[in-house]
Amino acid sequence: MATETEADREFTTTDVSHLETEQSTREKTLLWVDDHLKWLMTLPAVLILFALTFYPLVRALQMSTMQFLPTGTTFVGAQNYVDLLSNEAFINSLVVTAQFVGIAVGIEFLLGFGIALLLNKKIKLRGLWQTLILIPMILSPTVIGLIWRLLYAPNGLLDYIVAPLTGGANVGWVSETSVALYSVILTDIWQWTPLVVLVLFAGLQSVPDNISEAAVMDGASRWQRFLHITLPYLKSLIVLVLIIRLVDALRVFAKVFVLTRGGPGSATNVISMQMYRTAFRFSNFGEASAMAVSLLVVVLILAMSFVKIANVEFGS
Amino acid sequence: MTTKQDTTTDALPYEQPSGFEKFRETLDEYGVSKAVTYGLLGVFLVWTLFPIYWLVTATLKTRQTLLSFPPMWIPWNFHFENYVQLFAQRPDFIQFIINSAIITITTTVIATTIGAMAAYAFVTFDYPYDLDFHLPFYILSTRFMPPIVTVIPLFVIFRGIGLVNTLPGLILVYTMFNIPFAVWMMKGFFEEVPDSLIESAMIDGHTHLGAFFKIVVPLVKPGLIASAIFTIIITWNELLFAVILALNSNAMTVPVGLASFVTKFSVQWINMSVGATIALVPVLLFAFVARQQLVRGFSMGAVGK
Repeated sequence: MATETEADREFTTTDVSHLETEQSTREKTLLWVDDHLKWLMTLPAVLILFALTFYPLVRALQMSTMQFLPTGTTFVGAQNYVDLLSNEAFINSLVVTAQFVGIAVGIEFLLGFGIALLLNKKIKLRGLWQTLILIPMILSPTVIGLIWRLLYAPNGLLDYIVAPLTGGANVGWVSETSVALYSVILTDIWQWTPLVVLVLFAGLQSVPDNISEAAVMDGASRWQRFLHITLPYLKSLIVLVLIIRLVDALRVFAKVFVLTRGGPGSATNVISMQMYRTAFRFSNFGEASAMAVSLLVVVLILAMSFVKIANVEFGS
Repeated sequence: MTTKQDTTTDALPYEQPSGFEKFRETLDEYGVSKAVTYGLLGVFLVWTLFPIYWLVTATLKTRQTLLSFPPMWIPWNFHFENYVQLFAQRPDFIQFIINSAIITITTTVIATTIGAMAAYAFVTFDYPYDLDFHLPFYILSTRFMPPIVTVIPLFVIFRGIGLVNTLPGLILVYTMFNIPFAVWMMKGFFEEVPDSLIESAMIDGHTHLGAFFKIVVPLVKPGLIASAIFTIIITWNELLFAVILALNSNAMTVPVGLASFVTKFSVQWINMSVGATIALVPVLLFAFVARQQLVRGFSMGAVGK
């Protein structure tokens, strides 16, 4: 009996003390979590981005100074960068990318702005219009490449449409050196004009009516109102949509991969494609990394100068 | 209203309307301007939607009618067997769909959770050294980084630690890829939650973390759904990382499978069309649910709430 009670007591005391310590550790943990919440909540995001963007960037920088050989790697300093300057394929890919970005983004902007202005008039079922033109930008660039590959097919729909002009001959949309880049550009315009439309339309909607009305009272013509009220009001959105399109167009890959694989020859060999070829077809990781670092510098300069221009203009 | 106000320009003595303006007003009177507006928008709409119609109807045609002169505008005989044939001829395509689904769902859950937590912290807390400005700026700046820049070193790193050709490898990369979007989209939603709600919950005995889950998360549910859908669409669509980091069917995704229907020399037209149509369906479904938020995501939040 005595042993039993003692055992019981012992059990209860240990049990209670165990509970007490557990509760207090639980409370302590919760308090500790709350105290450090601001760090704990950001830690996963910062760690993942650090490990998967910052660290690879450092590695890219390091790899760009090395030559990868079957026997191992050797440090070559700036040699990869020097080689880039005389690498015709690389320089050609810069030219192709510049053409692609310039023409595609230019047309997307002008066309998109025009459509946004039309949409800003009194239009029935505007919500439906907006939803429907949104579709291309959410589709996979791969699927878009395939859709247009089908349209560009020999004896395909586009050949039929332009047949009166070509006398029935196939254009060779993706197989003719002089045409292929424009076919890729047309596909990009199809996908991304809607983004310009939707962003600028949202901006147009936020132009306050009273300013416009006051301008009408002052006798401003439509063109004057557009130039002196609408355009300054939209400036920040215009800069933003141009940056987004520019940066995204610079890294185009999937559409080119599916439509032309960079060909025919090197007609559509944009910089991402050239880097992909250099690294994964020719296993030249050093030179590909040098290209990557150069591209990043260009993107940074572009993005920063755009922001600067925007800031200066907002200031005045 | 605007057209009426425009005519008041005539009444003003000091600014005579230009010839162009007069021409516009004449057009307006006859409703021509309106017709032109609808006409142009109509053309744009057809241009936008027709290619998708062309792809989807291609799946119902035969090899002969797919590329015929003149084209078959409407497929009168529906060849649904094309869908069966894809899976018969390419049994690996079902594996691609499973891989894509696993990667997309896992990435969405992780990226949305991590991104939302970070966004909440940046909105709520004060950090030393202006980190509450610099950290989100750093996170968002990764959005501008061309993926090809990181994918080459990532391939080398992943090959070293055995993550090439694995689902976790792709999930990790896509989580990284989507966190900036989640942070960017969620920030706006958290800013709208009044501080007083959290404070009163904490007075009621909740911990801050408890209050976050019980009070804040339910309030920003629409934002969570929107950024989840945005993540789903981006991940499901992605090709570059997948084409480099998933070389065999262990981890190959739908876009890689689709790209394999097109080689330099030939295209499997029917299979390609069917596969692309299948890949397009989930994206369209999700997009219609979150169409308002999508532009916000694509435009980095510049377009209002």
